[in-house]
Amino acid sequence: MKKLTNRRPIYCGILCLLLAFTTAVAIENKTVIGPTNPDLQEGANALLSGDIEEGIRLTLIGLKMETGTRDRQTAMSNLCAGYTILNKLEEALRYCNLVLEENDEHWRALNNRAIIYVKQRRFAEAEKDIDKGQELAPNSRTLKLVRAMLLDATNPVSPNIIIDDRRSPPDNDE
Amino acid sequence: MNDIAPRAIGVLLLFIAAGSIGQEKPRVLYFQDDKAERTPSHTVIPAYPRRARRERIEGEVQVCFKVDHFGKPYRIGVRRSSNRIFEKPAIHAVRESTYLPLAPDQKVSGIKTCRTFRFLLEPVEPDDSETPGLSGQDLSN
Repeated sequence: MKKLTNRRPIYCGILCLLLAFTTAVAIENKTVIGPTNPDLQEGANALLSGDIEEGIRLTLIGLKMETGTRDRQTAMSNLCAGYTILNKLEEALRYCNLVLEENDEHWRALNNRAIIYVKQRRFAEAEKDIDKGQELAPNSRTLKLVRAMLLDATNPVSPNIIIDDRRSPPDNDE
Repeated sequence: MNDIAPRAIGVLLLFIAAGSIGQEKPRVLYFQDDKAERTPSHTVIPAYPRRARRERIEGEVQVCFKVDHFGKPYRIGVRRSSNRIFEKPAIHAVRESTYLPLAPDQKVSGIKTCRTFRFLLEPVEPDDSETPGLSGQDLSN
């Protein structure tokens, strides 16, 4: 946990940028009057700021008061993310599965579940989720990263760089 | 009218994913022959681009340039490249590299020097002992 705490600022910095973009896209065509579920919203904010336990607590409250399918799925997806960060993988998987039972095209839940599977070394299942996620969101950077994570676990590579200053054509000595 | 929907943070896990993708130092092989106009004094190794490594992209870039009297490369340009992703690190490496300066009575040759960079990925054995993820890394690129 200590390791994680030290890294949270890195996680959160980029996450904030991504969320800013996501939110901007989401509200682009909407008239805004305020959050439908403040606990869920604050839970997401807490998760973003790195306070994972508080984020989970608020999201669980928000889940009880959910006002619709989208709120419920968002809450469960966020719980999946939060528990994964806490390395409570079984709990995380349960919430991801709940989202995907309701909506098997929730690519973020597929993304999150693929990470859990990689961490559990269930590589075939991870690949299946990534494939499906990329069909739904072909340009998702997060899914590309998860695929890289899977590749690093299953087919790791080491970078080699050859610097060739020869003026004459090289022999076949490389 | 619609309200703000709570934000889904599936992307949160991006950081875990990105963190697992290491950026270890590359293994370097260097080739030269005795036909070079100038002798390198400090050769900078380009970084393997993170995205290329993540997406298992390999490639080659040839950068040609002139070297001034003091050993500093100038007029640096890419002569050929298999993928643009490698051009920036190759140019940067050349720009930061130096050659031995010429003696005061020596003249700078008009001939360009060329350096080829090959970016390769070598398979390694999976580390079965390690669970991936949760190692923080700089997430730029």
